[in-house]
Amino acid sequence: MKNIFYILFLLPILFSCQSEKVIIIYPDHVGDVEFNKNIDDPDFKKCMDKDYGIQYYDYNSDGLQYKGEKIEIVQALEKLKLSASRNTNGYVTIRFLVNCEGKTGLFRTQQMNENYTEENFDKDFIQKLLNFTKSLNGWTPKEVQGLKSDYYQYLTYKITDGKVSEILP
Amino acid sequence: MERFQKYYLSLIFLAVYSQISAQVNCSIYPEGNCRKACEISNQAGEAQGFALSQMAFDTAIEICPNYDDALAEKSVPYLKRGDFVTWKKLIDKAVEINPKDHLDYRGWCKFQFLRDYNGAIQDFDLLEKYRPGNIGFSKNGDYNLYVVKAVCYSALNQKDRAIRLLENLYKTKDYHFGLYDYYQLGVIYYGTGKYDKALENFEKQSKVYDFAENIYFRSKVSKIRNKDYLDLKRLALKSYDDGKTMKDVYTHHFNKVYRKQIAEL
Repeated sequence: MKNIFYILFLLPILFSCQSEKVIIIYPDHVGDVEFNKNIDDPDFKKCMDKDYGIQYYDYNSDGLQYKGEKIEIVQALEKLKLSASRNTNGYVTIRFLVNCEGKTGLFRTQQMNENYTEENFDKDFIQKLLNFTKSLNGWTPKEVQGLKSDYYQYLTYKITDGKVSEILP
Repeated sequence: MERFQKYYLSLIFLAVYSQISAQVNCSIYPEGNCRKACEISNQAGEAQGFALSQMAFDTAIEICPNYDDALAEKSVPYLKRGDFVTWKKLIDKAVEINPKDHLDYRGWCKFQFLRDYNGAIQDFDLLEKYRPGNIGFSKNGDYNLYVVKAVCYSALNQKDRAIRLLENLYKTKDYHFGLYDYYQLGVIYYGTGKYDKALENFEKQSKVYDFAENIYFRSKVSKIRNKDYLDLKRLALKSYDDGKTMKDVYTHHFNKVYRKQIAEL
């Protein structure tokens, strides 16, 4: 706790030694998502006045919090029988914000192959995974010190031979 | 200055809930840039994921380009937030500089966050060259990494290989058993149809730490053998509801069982 205050004072001094004006090249918190009118639902509302970068795992969480637990997500996806071409292997990660009502928005997708480099898979398959993720409505709202909070969640779909073989985290 | 005020507020907010990263003893470095890099990195690690923290890591890397801990620590928030492409680029650099100290973490993360079984095994095998016979523990402390390696083999349907590895490991003199070791071996045996061996391990597990999943599998074995399994099923559900279940802050455990599956037994 004591060291956190060292950071408050040390970092500006550190940066001021390097240049007169500090250029922040990162978002306030790693993974922050800003509203984009071209892709985001304008009706999705955040509950907090600003983005505090709260993640699903913060505040002694037991991981992903979903009504009926993650198995509900796994079984719902299995029913859809989604598949891509057999040579599709890698990961599709969809990150989004859960607001204090458990509603979701600000979806962002990352696709990567088995070598952890970005690769675009079949668009139709990705769109179906995105639609599925958007359809999930069992997210548990988070409260932090009595305040209803927005938090970031992601789902990673591991794709093996064109089929979803795992859902993480 | 307004920008910094905003960060101060955020950092104070962070102090309440931050995941503090590991601290390095910087006195091991001689006076100079690399010691400074170490000190900066340690402090930045306390504000994990914040812009200024990431920039401080950049400064540390700039003044001491081979300071691998800064690269590793900078990678962590990307991992936790699902940006695996960026995480991998950074952790690979750390591993390149200092494989002995980072291969364990990279291998564990490949398993824990991505179920990349082959990738994890490759890292553990590489690590064997630097730390023969002792590849360490998972970041969360739950597993010896040889157990994780065996679990990876089981996931790749090499169950006999996984069993051999675990049986030999558990016979090792002074082996320190982890929280779920017997359970994992029991589930692998169960998957091969060797129910006596499975039950033997579930019973050993119950003496170390009995939890819902372990009781569930004992119940399953009883059901297969046409024995009364309902008492165990009820106990498994009660344990689950009491919170005695496999938990992880970031992901689900391998061979985790959900309440719904127990209820449907």
